[in-house]
Amino acid sequence: MYAGIDAGASATKVVITNDKEEIVSYAIVPSGINFKVSSEEALKKALEKSSLTPKDILYTVSTGYGRALVNARATSSEITCISRGIHKLFPSARTIVDVGGQDSKAIRIDENGRVLDFAMNDKCAAGTGRFLEVMATILGKPIGELGKLHFKSSNPVKISSTCTVFAESEVISHLSKGCKIEDVIAGLHNAIAERIFNMASRIGFEKDVAFTGGVTKNPGFVEALSKRIGLKPILPPEPQIICAFGAALTAIKKST
Amino acid sequence: MSGEKGRSRILQTTKKIGELILEYFAKASEAKAQGKPVAWITVFTPVELLRALDIYPVAPEHFSAMCSARGFILDFLEESERKGYSQNLCSYSRCTLGYALSGMSGLMPPPDLLVTFRNSCDVYVKWWQSLQMHLGTPLFIGEAPYVLAAEDLDNYVLDYVVKQLESLIRLAEEKFGLKYDEEKLVEAVKLSDKASELWLETLKLRRCKPCPLGGRDSASDIFPLVVMQGTMEAVQFYEELLEEVKEKASRGEGVIENEKYRLLFDGIWLWYAFDLIKYFEDKGAVFVYEPYSEAWACRLDASKPLESVARKVLSMGLNVDIDLRIERFLKSIKEFNINGAVLFSNRSCKTWSAPQLITAEAISGEFNVPYLLFEADMADPRQYSEAQIKNRIDAFLEVLGES
Repeated sequence: MYAGIDAGASATKVVITNDKEEIVSYAIVPSGINFKVSSEEALKKALEKSSLTPKDILYTVSTGYGRALVNARATSSEITCISRGIHKLFPSARTIVDVGGQDSKAIRIDENGRVLDFAMNDKCAAGTGRFLEVMATILGKPIGELGKLHFKSSNPVKISSTCTVFAESEVISHLSKGCKIEDVIAGLHNAIAERIFNMASRIGFEKDVAFTGGVTKNPGFVEALSKRIGLKPILPPEPQIICAFGAALTAIKKST
Repeated sequence: MSGEKGRSRILQTTKKIGELILEYFAKASEAKAQGKPVAWITVFTPVELLRALDIYPVAPEHFSAMCSARGFILDFLEESERKGYSQNLCSYSRCTLGYALSGMSGLMPPPDLLVTFRNSCDVYVKWWQSLQMHLGTPLFIGEAPYVLAAEDLDNYVLDYVVKQLESLIRLAEEKFGLKYDEEKLVEAVKLSDKASELWLETLKLRRCKPCPLGGRDSASDIFPLVVMQGTMEAVQFYEELLEEVKEKASRGEGVIENEKYRLLFDGIWLWYAFDLIKYFEDKGAVFVYEPYSEAWACRLDASKPLESVARKVLSMGLNVDIDLRIERFLKSIKEFNINGAVLFSNRSCKTWSAPQLITAEAISGEFNVPYLLFEADMADPRQYSEAQIKNRIDAFLEVLGES
């Protein structure tokens, strides 16, 4: 068995695969402030789910922001891991848009899953999961509900600021003017979709386009981004673990 | 990598640069104490001419880079911000203004004259005008029309800049009672040309594989060309440097033992994050070419000293058409056998960063060379996100490793 650990800014993901490159088990836990603790917890959970012990793991590769801080034999960048993970599951994908807790990226890959080019958001949290977390807090809604509420909107508001801090005051002013909460939510989804679209446009949207990352578990956002790109994307059943899966695939490769 | 621990990746000559610079500033204070005027100049102001006038030039941009590298720039940046200068302004300008507004008690003596040319940057003029406003020092602004084609260097544009230089001479003579000495200019031009020649020859040796001179060397070794042009000390420095690099190249010794990737770096270096170059080197990547390093060298003709200096003012890398800049870029890819390009989009230097996407597309389109573009500031460490940038570097080098 092989393990991939994706120590992300908001969640730590572990995927365990067998030598046939199949996912055997996985776990997702909040990253908290200590990547070492969260990665051990996620690994323990993933092992327990499939009645495995740490001894069954032959090789571990870590990725994500905390990649250097966790226990693993080797590290790899998220760009490479996401590409490997998607290519394995969806060989037809040529473009990947990943929206995570603290950054978003667009990756162009070839028919062998090799990275040709990539773009990432700059030092700013707008256009990432963090943006939605901040907004969910001021809206007084759990982050998991934003996606559902999005579809109730009939008249999305326009959020013109691309800055998380300014957008926050814009949201408050929309709410105080009596705008419906679902219209504000749809407006926020459109705003980050716009930002990601602009960032990713540099590398283009060659078909098929796959979405990954925790934020793409929000169906409202997926709808907004798909509309903006004008394509129907491939959406993995669990988009949050693709990067960890890619790390596990790297572990298989490295162990041989 | 453990075998590399014993050997320094930085050249012995480079290690002398710190002392050389400190000496240069110390001499500025000495000159001032002896009643010689000290000029604050923007870089690519013809220092050769100032030497002929017996004016001692120092460059606040260089001073700011040094403050950033030594970790005390924030005092000056914050001082200028408290006085109302926006964080969106160039960090060199904020550092200089903060220094000027907080008593100028550091290494760089207060100016007697402010000199700038409109030849590379939009901020220069307002920055130098602000200094004049705060300090009341005489100001000279030289005009330098944009060079759209190489012919521009041979027509009325050149005459126009020569006239600008003559008016700078008149200003210095009237204000300070100095006498312009053409013989001194010829001497300064000769020394300046020699230093440029030596530097260009040294840079050529980076075509060797493995590359004998790395990014940390080139980013430090330019300083004598920035402010010390026209001095014997600068020439001696570059003679010594060339000698060392030649020897290293003939021994087949590189910056790193296992050279996997040869990279181009575009932009001004991040002075507070020199370690980033080491981060690349630790992963087998070495910088072999930077347009920035090359930009400081300019061959001069001592038989036409004033005209030659005017040509230098005009042909400064940022004063020429983008197509000419891209041409230089593309040529380097082949000459230096480059595998990848790292482009630093500098929040402070819009003039440098503006054409980077076009350049990047040109390199990846024509040569299929992958590139990495990241954003930060050259001197303000608050605009820098280490984890994000290292994340990109890792991904970029993995892409290079696969291609």
